Amino acid sequence: MPDSLYYFVQQLLNGLTVGSTYALIAIGYTMVYGIIGMINFAHGEVYMIGSYIAFISIAALAMFGIEFLPLMIIGTFIISMIVTSAYGYSIERVAYRPLRGGNRLIPLISAIGMSIFLQNLVRLAQGSRDIAMPNLIPGGINIGPPEGFSATLSYMQMIIFAVTLISMTLLTLFITRSRMGRACRACAEDLKMTNLLGINTNGIIALTFVIGAALAAVAGVLLGMYYGVVNPYIGFMAGLKAFTAAVLGGIGSIPGAVLGGLLLGVTEAMTAGYFSSEYKDVVAFSLLILVLLFRPSGILGRPEVEKV
Amino acid sequence: MIAVAAMAGATGFAMAADNIKIALAGPVTGPVAQYGDMQFIGAKMAIDRINAAGGVNGSQLEGVIFDDACDPKQAVAVANRIVNEDIQFVVGHLCSSSTQPASDIYEDEGILMITAASTSPEITSRGYELIFRTIGLDSLQGPTAGQYIAEKVKPKKVAVVHDKQQYGEGIATAVRDVLRENDIDVALFEGITAGDKDFSALISRLRQADVDFVYYGGYHPELGLILRQAREQGLNATFMGPEGVGNTDISAIAGEASEGMLVTLPKAFDEDPKNADLVKAFEAKNEDPSGAFVFPAYAAVQVIADGIKLADSTDPFDVAEALRSNSFETPTGTLSFDEKGDLKDFNFVVYEWHADSSKTALSE
Repeated sequence: MPDSLYYFVQQLLNGLTVGSTYALIAIGYTMVYGIIGMINFAHGEVYMIGSYIAFISIAALAMFGIEFLPLMIIGTFIISMIVTSAYGYSIERVAYRPLRGGNRLIPLISAIGMSIFLQNLVRLAQGSRDIAMPNLIPGGINIGPPEGFSATLSYMQMIIFAVTLISMTLLTLFITRSRMGRACRACAEDLKMTNLLGINTNGIIALTFVIGAALAAVAGVLLGMYYGVVNPYIGFMAGLKAFTAAVLGGIGSIPGAVLGGLLLGVTEAMTAGYFSSEYKDVVAFSLLILVLLFRPSGILGRPEVEKV
Repeated sequence: MIAVAAMAGATGFAMAADNIKIALAGPVTGPVAQYGDMQFIGAKMAIDRINAAGGVNGSQLEGVIFDDACDPKQAVAVANRIVNEDIQFVVGHLCSSSTQPASDIYEDEGILMITAASTSPEITSRGYELIFRTIGLDSLQGPTAGQYIAEKVKPKKVAVVHDKQQYGEGIATAVRDVLRENDIDVALFEGITAGDKDFSALISRLRQADVDFVYYGGYHPELGLILRQAREQGLNATFMGPEGVGNTDISAIAGEASEGMLVTLPKAFDEDPKNADLVKAFEAKNEDPSGAFVFPAYAAVQVIADGIKLADSTDPFDVAEALRSNSFETPTGTLSFDEKGDLKDFNFVVYEWHADSSKTALSE
């Protein structure tokens, strides 16, 4: 009996690891939607770029002789977040701002175009083959008896949990306590009215893109180090899963994105662990359909009030 | 290449009456032209050597190169030109997607075709009489791997995983069937999604099922990650895969975890001591004999020549009959064809893979 308990714990850990990173990427979708009501389909590619920047900066730091691991990892996080945020800002400036105020479908097409552009840009610049790097933080701890099945928790998984938790706490503090965070919430409430009250809404919108991109970069660095592989196509599937997580939790709600991400990750792991890997995506997306049937605005989403 | 074609054309003109023409169809231009070169140098070497040894029934062989650029549309145009020029034997095409439409025309027009490179099982599965190949099928690797596991590895509990694609699932199913026939416990047969990055849930399950051997049908990006994550979670099992995983990228992705993996690959004919003479002849002409299709193309020409001798006729139907009822000694081994036109046994070899991308052969 304990064996099956440890097995359950193991699958739970597997699911929470993947779920944490879904949550980090989902924040980018949900914040942008919350404020301008648009799905930023290029967000998956932003995550992919974050991952590439992580690989490049690890190689660069090692080249400059910075071999001390904590320094190297912190440096990588900083470089990747800055560069990826610049991408997030530029995407908003080039592809979305000029189209704002028009038909809602137009920025959507622009976003898909941006996504294709970024994917091909990276493919041309870095090649389309997988780039790999060795495991920087090997090892982990075993939970459970030495004989029989024991759950393993790698150090890398612990880092993923810790970093996700820290990022989420900082983001919540920023949104609820700071002046800019209050401006963000005001924009989400009513963009036009906020503008009339003298707040630079263009700046706030750009800020949400930057925050989303920075969190996607965090996910990119974490998953890049965890899986050790990156290619130009990882953005598509990650983006799709994160978008699902955002919708599941209630798009527009930040705690919803976190809950949706974790729920999706755990559902996938449990399906693969107790049923079959083949049905992993089937069960995950069936869950989405079920939730939307009974709660169309997602688990924590507020029902859309038609603004008159 | 133009010079060769022109030369072949010139000699063809001089002795047109007696020559037996063989069309060499494959890509001379386009993105996979280097594979076409492998096929052409092998076929030309065979033609030269057979002619030097006195030809076939008093006639000389003559190779005529046709460029299909590995484009199905151009392959059809090439096939029609071969029909118009009254050529009765074809060695080619290279890409399965070109061979497939071209072979329809050859079968209809009574032309014998042997491909030295197309491995898609579809090509010979349509009940055609005149279509042969001197290379293995994608679907042959599974049984080879399954036999090896059952006879040499003898694992207690096996998991067979695949990527749900035609190539991977086909091979994985064949492996599972062979293992079951040999009463080996296949505890798990399951598909994953190609392009996925996280296999931790699957690996935990393999660990819980206590498997000591995992066969994976698919390509290197997924197996590389599976190996890496299995090492991380501490799964003690031997992994094995088809030729789709046997390239240097897997060691880049999996690192140390790729050490000791088993993989089935076609035999390296140029390393066979029996072919030392032939390898020297290629090197004397400054050609590279290590390409995968060089020796199968050589064998294809030789089989046509021997078939004509045995049938004592250049009628493609007689030659096809001779091919099905005899076996042929070629540099790729003793070849015999089944009803469909495939080789009865084409050997895939089991190799042990090392973390530095080198490999050692484990089976003959």
